[in-house]
Parts: sequence; C-alpha cells; structure tokens
Amino acid sequence: MRIRRARPGAAPPASGAPLLCRWDLDKTYLRSEFDSLRSLLRTAFERAEDKVEVPGVAELIRALKAAAERHGRKALVYFVSASPPQIGAAVRKKLALDGVPYDGIVFKDQLAHLRRGKLRNLREHVGFKLAELLRGRLAAPPGAAELLFGDDWELDSLIYSLYADVLAARLAPARLEPLLRRIRVDPGLADEILALAGRAAGGERVARIFINLERRSPPATFRLFGPRVVPTFNYFQTAAVLGAEGYLGAEDVARVGRVLLEGAGYTARGLENSLGDLVRRGFLEPAAAGALGTRLRATGVLPPADGPRARWRRVLGALGRLRRRRRMRAGRAAAGEAPPLDYDAILARLRPAAAAASGRERRGGT
Amino acid sequence: MPTIAVDAMGGDHAPDEVVKGVAQVSLATDIECLLVGDERRIQSVLEGVSYNPEHIAILHATDAIGMAEEPRQAVKRRDASLVVGVRAVAEGRAQALVSAGNTGACVLACARHFRLLRGVRRAALASVYPRQREHGGQDPLALLLDVGATVRCEAEELVHFALMGSVYARRVSKVASPAIGLLNMNMGSEEMKGGEVLVEAHRRLRQLPVVNFVGNVEGNDLVRGRADVIVCEGLLGNVALKLIEGVSEVLYDVTGRAGERRVAWRLGLRLLSRGSERARALTDYTQYGGSPILGFEHVFIKCRGRSGARAVANAVKVAAKAVRDHVPREIADALAAAR
Repeated sequence: MRIRRARPGAAPPASGAPLLCRWDLDKTYLRSEFDSLRSLLRTAFERAEDKVEVPGVAELIRALKAAAERHGRKALVYFVSASPPQIGAAVRKKLALDGVPYDGIVFKDQLAHLRRGKLRNLREHVGFKLAELLRGRLAAPPGAAELLFGDDWELDSLIYSLYADVLAARLAPARLEPLLRRIRVDPGLADEILALAGRAAGGERVARIFINLERRSPPATFRLFGPRVVPTFNYFQTAAVLGAEGYLGAEDVARVGRVLLEGAGYTARGLENSLGDLVRRGFLEPAAAGALGTRLRATGVLPPADGPRARWRRVLGALGRLRRRRRMRAGRAAAGEAPPLDYDAILARLRPAAAAASGRERRGGT
Repeated sequence: MPTIAVDAMGGDHAPDEVVKGVAQVSLATDIECLLVGDERRIQSVLEGVSYNPEHIAILHATDAIGMAEEPRQAVKRRDASLVVGVRAVAEGRAQALVSAGNTGACVLACARHFRLLRGVRRAALASVYPRQREHGGQDPLALLLDVGATVRCEAEELVHFALMGSVYARRVSKVASPAIGLLNMNMGSEEMKGGEVLVEAHRRLRQLPVVNFVGNVEGNDLVRGRADVIVCEGLLGNVALKLIEGVSEVLYDVTGRAGERRVAWRLGLRLLSRGSERARALTDYTQYGGSPILGFEHVFIKCRGRSGARAVANAVKVAAKAVRDHVPREIADALAAAR
C-alpha cells in the first residue's frame, strides 16, 4: 500500500477486508493528567464518571465503525495502554458510558515489573507497545489495513512507525535489534519482539498514523516520520483526513465537528481554520478540502459563505488552491515514493543524550 | 472574538518573529489572527513552533514593503502584504490591523483605504512610551500624539488629537479621566505662548468639558507623570519621541561601558542590578506592543520595526482590546459631543 495524500471521494482501501483501528488511551482517548504526582494519583483512582475524553474522539470511533459497516466491512477497535490493569474497570465503564464500541483493550502489567524489581520497565513503553501491537497483528484477520492513533506525550509516533515498517518488511530483525537496544528495551522483551516481527512481516498494512497534538508540539517535529504520520490538533482534523481518504463520509466528519461545536467550545470559524491548516500542511488536497467544506457548510459545521465578500474570498481561494496544487504535484513528482525513515536521526532527535552515548559505545566497541 | 489582521512581512525580523508572536496569541487567547503575507514562508515558520490552528488563518500576499522604501511608491503595490492587510480590514474580513513595517507606508496605506471618522480632518500616529509615575495608581505608560502622521497642524486638529487620545487612554489604558497636556513652552502666562495655533488650541481645549485638560506641558514633563496624553503636531512629536529613545539608549550604553572600565563601577552596577532591571522593565517597549494610528474608522496598531514575538503578541492583544472597546466609535461620539 502506497502512502498517499488525500484524494476527494477516494474509496476506502481494500474494501471487504476489515479495518483495524488501534488507539492509545491516555492523552489520545482520555484527557489524563500526569503533570504531577498528585494528578497521577488522582488519575489512577478516578471514577469512570470523572474521566474526561478528548473532544470528538468517541464520535470519531463510532463514525469509523458505522462508515466501515456502510462499506460492507468491519472496523475493529483496540486500545493499547501503558496504564496498569488496575484502572481497567474504570476505563471499561467510561467507554461504555461514552457508547464507544471496542473489540479489545490491553494494559501494561506494571505490578509484575515491580515484583521482578524491573523498575526501568515501568517507564519504558516502546517495547511493551510494540510487542502488543505485533501480537495483535498476528491474531488479526490477514490483509486487514490499520489506522493507528496516538499522541505527542510519549513515543507513539516512533512506536507506530517501527511497527508499520516491521509489517512492511522494511525493518528486518537485524536492523530492528540495534534500534531496540538503543531505546533500551528490556533484552527479554526485545527477543520476544524480534521473534514476533519475523512472523508478522507481510506487507504495507498501516495506512496512517494519527498523532493528537495534545501538548501542541510543533508539527515540524514529526517530519522525520514521513507523510504516513499525520499530526492533528483536534479530532475534526483527524476526521477530515479520514473523510478525504474515504474512511468516513462527509456526514461523519460533520458529526465529529458538531460535537466540538456543541460540547467543547469550538467555533465554526475555528473549524474552518483547522481545515485550512491541514491543506497548508499538505495533508488535505485543496480540492478535497473544498468538496468537504461545501458539505460541512451546508450542515452548519463551517460558517456560511456570505455575500460579495465571499465571492472575493472564493476568487482568492481558487488562485491559492491552483498554486498549492501545482506545488504539491511538483513536490510529489520530485519525491516519488516516500523514502525509508532514518531511525538513527529520529532517535538522535528524541533522545540526544542516549544517542550520543550509544554513538560513543559503538565507536568504542568496533 | 475579533479578527485581527497581522502584516506578517513587515518589520526587521519578519516573518519569523511576527508569526511566532501570532502563534503565542493563538495559544493564550481566543483572538482570531489573519496572517497576511507569503503563505509558504508563514507556514514554514508556524510549523516549527507551538500554535493553535483554530485561531489562525492566512491571507496570501505575494509582495512585501521594505523598511527603507519610499512610502508613497510602495503603497501603490496592491499585492504588498501591508496593502492586502489594510484592504482586508476595510472590506470587513478583519476588524484591525497590526504591522511592524515601514511607518510611512502604514500611515499612507490607512489613508488610502480607511475612511476618516466623521469630523476628523487628519489622522494621528500615537506613541505609547514609559514615564515616571506621580502616584501609585497611575498608568506607567503615556500617550504622545501626533508623532509623524501630520507634520503641521491647525488648532482644530490638535483638539481632535486630544479627544482621540483621551478616548484611547480611557478605553485601552483604562485611565478613568486621562490628563491631557499640550506640548508647548510654559513660561509666564502659558495661554499666550507658542504662537497662534497653540494659543488657539489651548483656548479651545480649556473650553472643552469632555477632556481633562491640564494645560501646557514642557519637554521635561514628557517623562514625568503630569499628563497621560500629550498632544502636539507631528514634527515636534517625532523629534520629542526620538529624543526620549535616544537618551534612554545612550544611558544604557554609558552604564554598560562604565562597568567594563573599572572593577569598582562594575561592583556598584551589580549592586544596583535589581533597580536597573526594574528600570529596564519599565522602558521595555515589548510589554505594550504597539501604538495606534487614530482617527480612522478602523483600528491600526503600529509596532516598532525591531519588534520581537512578545511585542507583536502584545500589539495583537492591544488591537483586540481597542476593537472590543469600540475605540473608533467612541472617538466619533466624543467628536460629535465636542462639536
């Protein structure tokens, strides 16, 4: 599967085959607070009724399921969380309260690490998540495409990219092994991952990786991860990209937008600006944004076009779209297929100290 | 929330610092910003910083006016970011414009595309500057106008400037009854000093019940707390403003060099460092962001050319405040009441 920019009216890829949607929980689905020990403890003991979801996320998951059904296939929703299973009951109840249908949820058994005295593993999530994703893949129907959803608090973009490249056989175990060592994944777990990776590799399966910019990280931070990773500032943006790629209909995108308007203090103008931001960042083709915009305007999610000023804006917009389209085409022609990710550069950016140490180690050892 | 157009290409550090300033505003407030300029360059800066896309739109402009360009020729370029921004405000797409660009071009672009308020004959470029406070509750900043939009003025225009400055200080600086001073000589019978125009302006201001006129103020009163708004013709205001800035810069230079020369002086300066930091904070132009061009139907805030992100962010907030508090309408009402 080639990584594509959004196309207007594109059919969902590989229709008939199920769609796997894998979600991180904290900061992606839930607005969990980890900023202080106090907030961490509060999150751990929070009741389901007190947990707050990120605006629009529940509607988006429901819409993904519904849209897949309309296309005659299944969308399977899984949550992979590094939180301990002790909060599982509250999380499951919260998902039920939100009316979110899901097909599985995995927690990280932190108590087991504590009992074994592996304190470093409490904070190391790359190994845990990668292993769980690979296990999930081996249990999934063959040929299923995947959409992955994470956030900018931890290393979701790295974990998901490693996973996607392992599946696509771009990261052979021999190349993955030193990366896991640099990330300081527990050696036992690393061996398990390498074994799973060998079995799971089979083709391009991950269509998109969405990163919820909960911390408002600069989008440029994610350029190293290539066009497969889509950093979004709100779930309306996520829905818009999914809509343009055919995973959702315009009415689904409108529903997500309406949730933000009615329950989260967003404005129609703000959503319009969010759409413009996606176009400028190259994740939505201007034509797709235009088509979607017309439908959303009709449903009141975007502000109405008004009078002579709107005509003036349309003319300017059309010129802008023409210019951007030319630029995008030129960019694509020059780039061709997305180049493989440079994990050394990514790790150096994410963990400069560790990368330097690892570099010294390698120089000393060889 | 108002929409504030921001000339992304104007200023010594544009577009980087301007875009960063707008990004700061987008994270901290609900103000919607319309960045006007080269979309590609703006977007490239934006993606490297934290921002909230819900509050930022971009209006593409292919051209930009340089800081040293001749204003009269420059504003004829219809695709220049400043001109596109002014037009966007005039056509209602935004309610105010902020620019750190070429001052002359800013004033001329406003004059070409904005309508003067009813009764206003000439617009005034104001400057917000720090001054000594006479009492605790006094605003640390004063307003001097005109500082260059109108070189020579009639008495009536000076009266208009006083009314405009009074409204701006009341609404934006929240000074309940701003003290208005007329920049003049102040020896002997003050009413008779300064020539025909100033004498007539003085007489009219004395008779105006809607302004708190405190009489003539001298050059040294500019930096004291005697008046919150000081009115003068553009030539005089510009000279006065540059003098204040020049003296302040020389003072910092001299103290800096003194510290380099002798260890004892360096020690002394170190001991005084908290005080000098406070003085520096007082004269830090970035805290008030920009100064208004008054007299038009729309709000225009002019930032200094060397403005950084913080100054631009504060200028956008000042513009939003002026829009929310209906400063142009208040000025029109004050002028009507004074007629």
